[in-house]
Amino acid sequence: MQRSATTLSRSLMATRGFCTSNSDKIVASVLFERLPVVIPKIDPVVYAFQEFSFRWGQQYRRQYPDDFLKKSDARGKGDYQIDYVPAPRVTEADKNNDRRSLQRALDRRLYLLLYSNAFGAPDGKPVWHFPEKVYESEETLRKCAECALQSVIGDLSHTYFVGNAPMGHMVMQPTEKVQDLQPLKRFFFKSQVIATNKFNIEKCDDFVWVTKDELLEYFPEQADFLNKMIIS
Amino acid sequence: MMRIIDFKRLKSLSSSVDFSPHQLIQRCSVSGTSKGKAKVKGGQTLKRSKVSTKKGKTTEPTEKPKGRRTSEYEKMVRDCLDASAPVRHLKPKEIAREAEREKMGLISKERAKEIEMMKKKKSESESGSPAIMGTPGLDLITLGLVDAEKIPKYELTVEDGRRLAKEYSRVLMRKHRARQAAESTLLRLKKEAIEALPENLKGAALVPDLTPFPVNRFMATLTPPIEGHFEKINEAARKSSVKEKLR
Repeated sequence: MQRSATTLSRSLMATRGFCTSNSDKIVASVLFERLPVVIPKIDPVVYAFQEFSFRWGQQYRRQYPDDFLKKSDARGKGDYQIDYVPAPRVTEADKNNDRRSLQRALDRRLYLLLYSNAFGAPDGKPVWHFPEKVYESEETLRKCAECALQSVIGDLSHTYFVGNAPMGHMVMQPTEKVQDLQPLKRFFFKSQVIATNKFNIEKCDDFVWVTKDELLEYFPEQADFLNKMIIS
Repeated sequence: MMRIIDFKRLKSLSSSVDFSPHQLIQRCSVSGTSKGKAKVKGGQTLKRSKVSTKKGKTTEPTEKPKGRRTSEYEKMVRDCLDASAPVRHLKPKEIAREAEREKMGLISKERAKEIEMMKKKKSESESGSPAIMGTPGLDLITLGLVDAEKIPKYELTVEDGRRLAKEYSRVLMRKHRARQAAESTLLRLKKEAIEALPENLKGAALVPDLTPFPVNRFMATLTPPIEGHFEKINEAARKSSVKEKLR
């Protein structure tokens, strides 16, 4: 425990430099994700083993008469609409590559990205960024993040914020190349979509729902940090 | 005096005895000899204590129309219970006996069935279609969950089984280790983020959030949900239940 504390403090000293926490701007941004709707693809090796074990066991199984096995296909009086044609897993949005719809990659997680004049970016140019808000004097940073999401989506009835703590932080120092305003600390909060298919996203020029690989395209410099923070 | 007392005792004894059939069960033979012991079976009610029931008469007229259905059902049940197992359990003596009988030309019924099954199996394996697992419309291959071409070829032998098991174990363990590593990185990043918070916000962030999870979080399913299907089923269920009530 002591060793980890010292290494943490050393790393913090390295990244922070001087402890000017009062003058740093703190930004709460939200990683808004839609959980997968369909189970992911199965590795062919795994399927091969399952098939092998099924067929091997089938060799030693008793063969029951067919009409007994067909009893499960019998339908009761009122059940005439239970049989259905399963919907395809690759939807139209997949074929059109329509990044604004939530029906796109159903077996993966989708994250929300906005395109507008963000806070920590050079003035005047819209950039791709997560929904965020500068921390003023609210109670907790999570409430600040909730405000941020609310301003984009409208109301928070279909969101669920996971936990009170942020899931990662990014420290942006002003460099010579990019004219940043001040040193910036961006804290990411995780929240999930609950029980809807569409969202009305306002207050931005454009928005996209992207998978993890596409997300890494939008943020080339912070790719390895995002790789660590987002699993799939 | 003694006689009066004896009478009283006898009366009390007789009043306490209830004449119920179980009291008349003959538990042991009375005679001192071994003769006649074989006929007494323990716990059997004596014949004079049986009460004849009238149930037999009422079931007869209803048996005939049910007869066919019950016999079909009974037939199916008997078939299931007598279902053949593909591998017979034979002790070494029995194997030797069967081999000798075959030399003589006598083949038992079960052996004949076995030979038929082997022939059927051979013809099936020559046709060579991949076995379908699960219900025909909703199995993994037709749904696109597995690419049928990438499945490695194998025979149904022990060595192939061992090779497949090794690969399976390798793939799954690799995935498991990757996931564990990713989860521990997540936890580490979260701790670093909390450390990087200013003091006033750190306390609030460290409070564990014990509000219950949302109950309507959608669980990933095999196929995506069809719009309007749920309402259709509910409508149909309601209509059918309403009709029954009106009767």
